[in-house]
Amino acid sequence: MSNENDMVSVTLRVHRFTPRAERERRHGSNPFARKSSPFGDSGARRRPRGKQWTQDYTLTVRPEDTVLDCLLTVKRTLDPTLAFRYSCGHGMCGSDAVAINGTPTLLCTAPVHAWIRNDGFRRTGEEGEPGETAADGGVIELSPLPGFPVQRDLIADIDPMLDQIRKLKPYLEAKGELRTTADGKVNVFEYLQSPAELAKYETLTNCIACGVCEGSCPVFAGGDAFIGPAALIAASRFVNDSRDGRTMDRLDAIDTEDGVAACQSVRACGRQCPRGIDVGEEMWQIIAKVRER
Amino acid sequence: MYDAVIVGAGAAGLSAALGLLRSDHIRELKGQGLDPRILVISKLQPLRSHTGSAEGGIAASLGNIDHDDWHWHYYDTVKGGDWLVDQDAAALLAREAPATVIRLEHDGVAFSRTGDGHIAQRRFGGHTAEFGGEPVKRAAYAADRIGHQILHSLWQQCVAQGVQFAEEWYVTDLVLDESKSRAAGVVAYDTHSGAVHAVHARNVLIATGGAGRLFRTTSNSWDLTGDGMALALAAGLQLEDVEFVQFHPTGLAHTGILLSEAARAEGGVLRNADGEAFMARYAPGHADLAARDVVSRSIMAEVDAGRGVADPKDPDGPKDCVWLDMTGIDRDHMEAVLPQVVETIRDYANIDPATQYVPVKPTAHYTMGGVPITTDGEVYRWIQSGDDPADGRRDVVEGLYAAGECSCVSVHGANRLGGNSLLDACLFGTRAGEAIAARVADAPVAQVELEGGDPADDEYAPLVDAAAKAREDEAKTLLAGSTDNTDDTDDADATPDDNPYRLLADLGAAMERAVAVRCTAETIGTALATLRDELEPRADALRAHDGTPAFNQEITAIWEARHLVALAEAVLKASDSRTESRGSLRRLDFPQRDDKRFLAHSMIELCGEANPDESDASRHSVGWQPVHIVDYPPKARAY
Repeated sequence: MSNENDMVSVTLRVHRFTPRAERERRHGSNPFARKSSPFGDSGARRRPRGKQWTQDYTLTVRPEDTVLDCLLTVKRTLDPTLAFRYSCGHGMCGSDAVAINGTPTLLCTAPVHAWIRNDGFRRTGEEGEPGETAADGGVIELSPLPGFPVQRDLIADIDPMLDQIRKLKPYLEAKGELRTTADGKVNVFEYLQSPAELAKYETLTNCIACGVCEGSCPVFAGGDAFIGPAALIAASRFVNDSRDGRTMDRLDAIDTEDGVAACQSVRACGRQCPRGIDVGEEMWQIIAKVRER
Repeated sequence: MYDAVIVGAGAAGLSAALGLLRSDHIRELKGQGLDPRILVISKLQPLRSHTGSAEGGIAASLGNIDHDDWHWHYYDTVKGGDWLVDQDAAALLAREAPATVIRLEHDGVAFSRTGDGHIAQRRFGGHTAEFGGEPVKRAAYAADRIGHQILHSLWQQCVAQGVQFAEEWYVTDLVLDESKSRAAGVVAYDTHSGAVHAVHARNVLIATGGAGRLFRTTSNSWDLTGDGMALALAAGLQLEDVEFVQFHPTGLAHTGILLSEAARAEGGVLRNADGEAFMARYAPGHADLAARDVVSRSIMAEVDAGRGVADPKDPDGPKDCVWLDMTGIDRDHMEAVLPQVVETIRDYANIDPATQYVPVKPTAHYTMGGVPITTDGEVYRWIQSGDDPADGRRDVVEGLYAAGECSCVSVHGANRLGGNSLLDACLFGTRAGEAIAARVADAPVAQVELEGGDPADDEYAPLVDAAAKAREDEAKTLLAGSTDNTDDTDDADATPDDNPYRLLADLGAAMERAVAVRCTAETIGTALATLRDELEPRADALRAHDGTPAFNQEITAIWEARHLVALAEAVLKASDSRTESRGSLRRLDFPQRDDKRFLAHSMIELCGEANPDESDASRHSVGWQPVHIVDYPPKARAY
């Protein structure tokens, strides 16, 4: 910890993509009818065509800087055209899921020292030999989140995940067991829920819909028909909420070929969850619930 | 043509959409087979909104743990705001808070619970019983993730209602009629394709959040660029009380990420470069747990006196931090009660707080001011008829609404009380939605279509189309700047390698030096000169470095930078006009509160085209609107 001022040279190897410009077509048509418009046809997404290449950016950074810090420095000082989503910068908004060295994770929770790769590289700090780090340097490889169509550089189209979440009616439909006031009013009190009942689903509510679990899932990212771990987590969140009255409907909705049946129990989904949800275990639990009903 | 367009999809925007769609008016309308045409436009996917970062709680006198009374909440809000609070609005806020929290619970928020199953509540600074007496547990919470819970639950309910979203669209223009008395629509830029849309709407609600990115060190996400406030200013409307920006005292240095007040409540102590626990000197009796603005000011006073420390990550940088000493807290206890704080310090500073001091500095947290609104969310202009501000009146802009941090109904006054931001956004968002519903039901677009008319065929449509055309041309220019354009003589003096990200960093640094936590006429003047001589010309000269419109983030970053530059000037001018110290505004050259002259809201607006040759004062005018004092006459604000 005493070496936090040691700098390290890192090369960000970014898999870039620029979609082909389609200016004429765009200008010739009614702007409200295009597919990116909420009014247009949302189905049948074409995989965009364009230019693909790999670009290296070399920076001198602190080992504890995040990969997002590095990319923002790139934007500011080297290349303002590099595209990647980011917003809160501390792991709450879920915008910046990408693949780092092939592993799906968030840019803003990934410190350089944890991801830099180089045979000559030594971690700073407790492992000693800090003097070697600055000169040695290393590489971090960045590509868009697997399992989703790339839109530009590190930006992937995660709408398929959100569509699948939405498909499972991810909103509380309460049983309506409300206390009434003395004069018969019902809507003035909260639904009662004990801390133990809350504990059954509280962790599941932490999901930030970043897509890391989906990009990690070999079934989902492999392109097979699978509603995906994120949608199942969202469904499970309500199945386990004592206030919700649609448990059976929800279990029915995921008891399909591309629902729980498609999960191969690989359990890769939970390894990088930025909110610490053991997604694989939760999958197991919800599958058991589906079977038991 | 839309019945209503909502700009922004955080707590305020989503609450407005729900308030609108769940209203009796809309239910009736739907009963008649007429579907309202509502669109929510947001520059982020809604779940990415900054509401999700709120940690602590939402204030409401539920009385689930301690006996509480909404009048006490009302008083605390007024006092916290240093009496610059409109008391009719604050009374409404406190009275409606319990119902607002209950509604959120019904919408699915996973609140923490008491042993008997009620919503749990915790202590927050400034929440008291009996009008300033003993502390009271008033902040309803969901572990340390209340914002995340609220954001996701509101989005989920919007899914249930079938709300139509235009995601990752950036609104570039708010279009009003020529007399600035009616909303005509907005112009929006689809970042996916680079297409510009003229969005005609009978009602527009702005709910774009705050402007923390005015400052380099901020707890706000990268997207809090004051868009809604800048849009209003550009449309010729006023901004209210924009000189008031709340700084949270303990941002993790270098990052600005919040370290919760709980760190000090559990025994953390602030120390200066000499190791002195200085808060005892500034706030005897309260020390490290004094009010947020008091602690922030004390930290800055230490820094200004040369007793600051450098961020260990930047040892040669400015000594603008102090230490947060948590080494006195037992390690196991720290892990148990401050998990998020410990995790943040470890992950983002690589420091073990059980054995090492943590560098902290005040971080820009919340903009109290914004687009002036009535308690029904209607945007208005303050028209002062004579010399006496008391003679003024509020002229409502028909069909234009605002809610949340970008607005100012003035429940926060000069300094927001903890737990009131989510409450403001949810309550006044809902109220604005309900107010819009009444207007929608009066003349629904679907009715016009049913009768064979063309709803877009109104006198205001050409105004929106013209604004969209101008914006489309500008977007082309910005994109064309990336190529070698020989006839581009205007760009001759542009720094070729300048870009909006660099500009934002420089603007944040300039604002931080000038007005973060404290300011003087001199620091304000310096920053205004920097803006005028350097940053504005640079913002005007910005061009994209790539010509492909799809997902060209630099285009929106350029507009965001211009928004922030315009807003920065308004913040500086308003700060300059208020020659007193009140709440979050600390004028070192005017250290006293001056109720005689400034028990009033500043109302700033642009006057005419900005002309770089003209004197500074001619570009903005500042009016004053008296504070609504109803129940609690001003007195000294002491904690």
